[in-house]
Amino acid sequence: MDELALINEAQRGDLDSFNTLVLTYQDVLFNTALRIMGDEESAADATQEAFLSAFRAIKSYRGGSFKAWLLRTVTNACYDELRRQKRRPSVPLEPETDDGEEMETPRWLADPSLSPEEEAETDELEHAIQHCLEALPLEFRSVVVLTDLQGMDYKEVAVAVRVPLGTIKSRLARARLRLRECLQGFWELLPASFRLEEEIIRT
Amino acid sequence: MTQTPSFRDVEKLSAYLDGQLKPSEKARLESRLQSDPEFASILKELRQTRGLLRQLPQRRAPRNFTLTPKMVGQKPPLPRTYPAFRFATVLATLLLFFTFATNFMAPRLTRSATAPFAYGMGGGGGGAETEMQSATEEAAQPALEMPAIEEPAVPGTPTPFATLVEPSAQNSTRIEPTLQTSDKSGVQEAPTNDTFAQRIPEEEPEQVRTPAPPVSAPVQIALGVIAALSALVAFILRTTAIRKWRAKPK
Repeated sequence: MDELALINEAQRGDLDSFNTLVLTYQDVLFNTALRIMGDEESAADATQEAFLSAFRAIKSYRGGSFKAWLLRTVTNACYDELRRQKRRPSVPLEPETDDGEEMETPRWLADPSLSPEEEAETDELEHAIQHCLEALPLEFRSVVVLTDLQGMDYKEVAVAVRVPLGTIKSRLARARLRLRECLQGFWELLPASFRLEEEIIRT
Repeated sequence: MTQTPSFRDVEKLSAYLDGQLKPSEKARLESRLQSDPEFASILKELRQTRGLLRQLPQRRAPRNFTLTPKMVGQKPPLPRTYPAFRFATVLATLLLFFTFATNFMAPRLTRSATAPFAYGMGGGGGGAETEMQSATEEAAQPALEMPAIEEPAVPGTPTPFATLVEPSAQNSTRIEPTLQTSDKSGVQEAPTNDTFAQRIPEEEPEQVRTPAPPVSAPVQIALGVIAALSALVAFILRTTAIRKWRAKPK
C-alpha cells in the first residue's frame, strides 16, 4: 500500500495504517529528537508524543511532504519536552544528598548523561558534535538538525519550525558558524582534512 | 578569518552551499569566491561543518513507537443495548437507595400529619416517592427552626393558628411549625396536610401510630435483583465485545 493510501486510511481513523507509517518514519523521528534532546530517553518520549499528536491531528495534513509534516510534530514535541524539563529539572542543582546534607565527594560533578561504559561505546566525535549541538540555542539547533541531519530543504524547515524562509537561512548560517567554532575545541577528534584546513588557516 | 566578510555574506555562502540562491545571486557570489580567498575559505569551513553533521550515524529507534488503541483513546464498538442495561442498573440502584432513605426517614417524620400522607403514597412509583421525600424534607427543615420562635408566642398571645391546632399540641410540639410551614410554603400537598391536621386531633387524638415502612420489602428485593441482573448483562455484553474486538484479524 502506498503512503498516500495509508495516510487516507489513517485519516479515517484506521490505527493499523497509521502504525505502518510509524514503522516507516520512527527512525527519522527518533534521530531528530535525539539530536535535539541529547539523550535517548527524552528522545524516545518526544518521539512517542509526536506520533500520538500526529495521529490526533492527521486530518489537518493537507498534502506535501509527510516526512516534513511529521518532523514538525516531533520538533514541537521536543520543544514541549524541553520546556517541561526546564520546569522540573531532574538533576539537582545543589550538591546535596537526599538528607539535605552537602555531598562530600564531587561525584555530582560528573556528566550524568554518560556512564563510563556508555562513554566507551559512544563514538567520541559523535559525542563532540552532540555536545556542540546542545550548546546551540534551541531554535538554531532544530534548524541545523532538520537541514543538515535530515536533509530537509529550507521551505520544509520553514514549515516545520514555523518561521519565515529568511530566518531559516540566517539561523542555519549562524548555527554552522557556531558549530565550527565549538568543534575546534575537539581538535584531536576531527578528521584529518578538517585539521589540515585549520592548520593552513592558522599559518 | 571570518570577520572580514559580513554575516550577510556568510548567510549567502551558507545558502549557496545548499543550492538555495537565486541564479543572479549565485553568479555574483561565484565571481566573488574566485577573487576573494576569504570567501572561499569560509565556504570550505561551512561545507566541512555540514559534512561532519551529515556523518553523524543514524541510530535505530530503541523500540517501536506504534500506537495502541488505548493510547489514542479508541474504544471497542459496544452493542446498542449496552447503554440501556447500564442505565437500568443505575436507575434501579438509585431507586433502591431512595426506598431505603424513605423507609429510614418516614418514621421520624410520622406521628405527625405527614404520616398518613406518606402511608397513603407508599405504594406509588419511584417518582412519587422522590417527590414525597423532597416534600417531607422541605417541611422537616423549618420544623427544627420554628419552635424557638413560636413557643414564647403561644402562651402569651394565642394566635388563630394556635387555637386551631390546640388539641394536637398535647401530642407533640413539633406539629405546629411543621403544619405552618407546609401551609405557607405552598407545596402542592400542603392543603392535604392541613385537612389531615385538622382531622387527626379529632379522630384519634391520643393514639401513637407505628406505621409500616412506606416501601415494602418485595419492592426493594425486586429493585435489587433488577440492578444486579442488568449490571451482569451489561458486564457480559462489554467483555464479549472487547474480546471480539481484540481477536478481530487485523
